[in-house]
Amino acid sequence: MKTVQKVVNPVRRAGEQSPGKIYDPKLKVRARREWRGVKDTFYDYTRWLYLMSVLGRFIIVPRNVKGFFRYRWMMSYLFVPHGMDKFTVGLRDEALRLAHTSFNFVIADVTQAIANCFRGDRRVGNDKAYSDACVVTDENSMVTFMMGFDTKKVHTILREVPTMFASNIFHQFNVMHYLDIAQQYGISGDVCPMPEAEAGISIDDDFCVLGCCAVQNNTTCDGSLMGNGIIAKRLEREYGIPTFQLATPLRHKEPDVMDYAAQEIKNAIAFVEEHTGVKWDWDVYFRAAKRVNDATRCRIAQLEINSTPYPQFFGAAFSLYNDTNYMGNSGRNADFVKIDHKLLALAEKGYREKRMYAKEYRHRAIVWGVQPQYVIDMLYWLVQCWGVMPLTDMLSVINTDMIAEEDTPENREQAYRDMAMLNMEMIMRNHTHGGYKVLLDDLWELCEKMNADMVMMWEHMSCKALTGMHGMFEEQARERGIHIMWVSHDLCDPRVFTRSAIRDQVSAYMRTVMREEPLDPSLENIPDNEAY
Amino acid sequence: MSKFVKIPLVLLGTVLGFFVVTFTVYFFNLDMKATSLLAPFLEKWYDHLERKQYI
Repeated sequence: MKTVQKVVNPVRRAGEQSPGKIYDPKLKVRARREWRGVKDTFYDYTRWLYLMSVLGRFIIVPRNVKGFFRYRWMMSYLFVPHGMDKFTVGLRDEALRLAHTSFNFVIADVTQAIANCFRGDRRVGNDKAYSDACVVTDENSMVTFMMGFDTKKVHTILREVPTMFASNIFHQFNVMHYLDIAQQYGISGDVCPMPEAEAGISIDDDFCVLGCCAVQNNTTCDGSLMGNGIIAKRLEREYGIPTFQLATPLRHKEPDVMDYAAQEIKNAIAFVEEHTGVKWDWDVYFRAAKRVNDATRCRIAQLEINSTPYPQFFGAAFSLYNDTNYMGNSGRNADFVKIDHKLLALAEKGYREKRMYAKEYRHRAIVWGVQPQYVIDMLYWLVQCWGVMPLTDMLSVINTDMIAEEDTPENREQAYRDMAMLNMEMIMRNHTHGGYKVLLDDLWELCEKMNADMVMMWEHMSCKALTGMHGMFEEQARERGIHIMWVSHDLCDPRVFTRSAIRDQVSAYMRTVMREEPLDPSLENIPDNEAY
Repeated sequence: MSKFVKIPLVLLGTVLGFFVVTFTVYFFNLDMKATSLLAPFLEKWYDHLERKQYI
């Protein structure tokens, strides 16, 4: 079997040594916050103050209070500081700053998204002029088709992100209600719980209602299509919001799909122009394209650092920041550029100073498959408890090609193809669809490139796209001498696999197959199944 | 006490007081503990709201 050189941390962690002590089974939150030494505790405290100020500024607006008491999913946002605590357990120095810089920005972005939803919502803010300038899109939709619309004139509302995707990160039980509603209305329980919960939110009449039109994408699976159908029916027939179906080819590695994919982007743009009355602006588009390329260069640089013995930026913060930047932003917001460069500077500093996340790194792992929302912070546990360094996750392995960024007649035609390419190769679908090459071959190439001796395979048991290839993964990993560790979960439903049931699969593999003991035994059994 | 001494002292006291109170809340996670006590009441509130459910 392949082996990698063990890397030992010569520096003792500042502050307390065992973060396992901050958990209390009687509480739904941490017993206290972690002592990280004076410097890092003070830094964490100042970021907590910042988060409190973000939440405070949100809730002093009367329509946001009204929205809070109207929508059940808003309860999750009471637990934003708790969510941030999950992302920073055991972190010090640059690692702590990377987590805060990236995820604090995501939180501020989501908070603004909720405020925008409430402003236009017919039940809450009912600002009709604002609502008439809004285009509602899917949570799983790339917004490349909005890159050429001036953000001051047209507002992109990713309505499902604050409602379902982000809220589940802060409160693990919050989507159970919506799953139960969907199943009460006859949707089977073995559908992916993410689109099922979104369908449940629509059935339960718990989405904000706004926008002059909506765009849905056939992403990323049969469950997503099912959810979109239910949501579109309500949008169009009850609320009179016309909905465009952006039918993106699934075989995105085949060159002959490109003409069709580019035409679909043109159709989506024409649809938005028709309903908003705003024309596509090539100056706006090419400015956004430059920012997309800049973000791509920064992401490649981060992954190159992670290919060295001293990886810096990975895990939930890296993955969720990429989701937000690549998919939800797509170059439209210039603020992301500053954050990208700040994150890269922090990672480079951490690399120069050989900062480590744990006492030692025993294995280097690629994390493949789709991660569970309710224990999305688990990769920090993996490295601190078992010394397995997760170099990157599948959802962060996205486009590395540059797109045309100069405004020329040829590039205007190329731009449709670039938008189509980004859309086809968006997060998750670029590996779950497109066949054998993108799901298996890409993984082994990545293992080689990043010098990984292990693959941690998230087996999302309701995901038909991935489970069909279980045997091929096993067979090919064996041929290459790569350890493959299967970890089952059910994405958003902690009743199927609890957090400890998920971690126990890792611990069982590490003890029985790898014959190893944990680096930090206080973390092996964390009593957080009932915690938010 | 002169105004030039009193004002900085009051400012320092305010900053220190703010720090002691907020740091205590932060370190002992009192914000999240209080919020978790509120959650069951909020769930009851959301349960009682009438909604137009259909598929």
